[in-house]
Amino acid sequence: MKIKLFCAAGMSTSMLVAKMQESAKKRGLDAEIVAYPESHLGKETDDCDIALLGPQVGYQLGKAKGICEPKNVPVAVIPMQDYGMMNGEKVLDFALNLKDK
Amino acid sequence: MDGMELISFKIISAVGTAKSMYIEAIQAAKQGNFEEADRLIEEGSNIFIEGHHAHGSLIQQEASGEKVGFSLLLMHAEDQLMTTETFKIVAQEFIELYRNVKMLSKGENRNED
Repeated sequence: MKIKLFCAAGMSTSMLVAKMQESAKKRGLDAEIVAYPESHLGKETDDCDIALLGPQVGYQLGKAKGICEPKNVPVAVIPMQDYGMMNGEKVLDFALNLKDK
Repeated sequence: MDGMELISFKIISAVGTAKSMYIEAIQAAKQGNFEEADRLIEEGSNIFIEGHHAHGSLIQQEASGEKVGFSLLLMHAEDQLMTTETFKIVAQEFIELYRNVKMLSKGENRNED
């Protein structure tokens, strides 16, 4: 499963990615989790199962939905609290819940 | 993850959310939805304060003689804090501009009637 995170430059989000990878490993979940700058939303969502936006680019959700929905890729903004606490577990749950819907 | 990293992320997360809301506020004003624009500026400002407090706690720590460890992440957090603070002023000016544009264009339509 491929989960991609998009934020302004991909800097702070790459630290969250490390936390999420830890959580996925603990669960024995086969997931590839990567961070990209939001300008790559178009091309990077072709081969992705779940897309997440950092809270700092939440205003792009409308545009992101326009790109992701035709590709059947669920997309949502990471809750600010979990992002601020670098809570890899919760953000991973959040991502997986999107897929279940 | 140590305390400094957590505080940095708290700042990045709060002010990042605030900045996103300020941008949404301009977009709302562009659509002529000024109530929503004002609400987004206010909500963004409330969230911004959370980041400001987290940053303030570090300044107080340093002022009381306890050394604050420096990192690129903290610098990034301060950078976000500053740009968001400045961006709020720009967003508010934009909203006022859109308000004026709407008022003026209404006036013009009336003249045409």
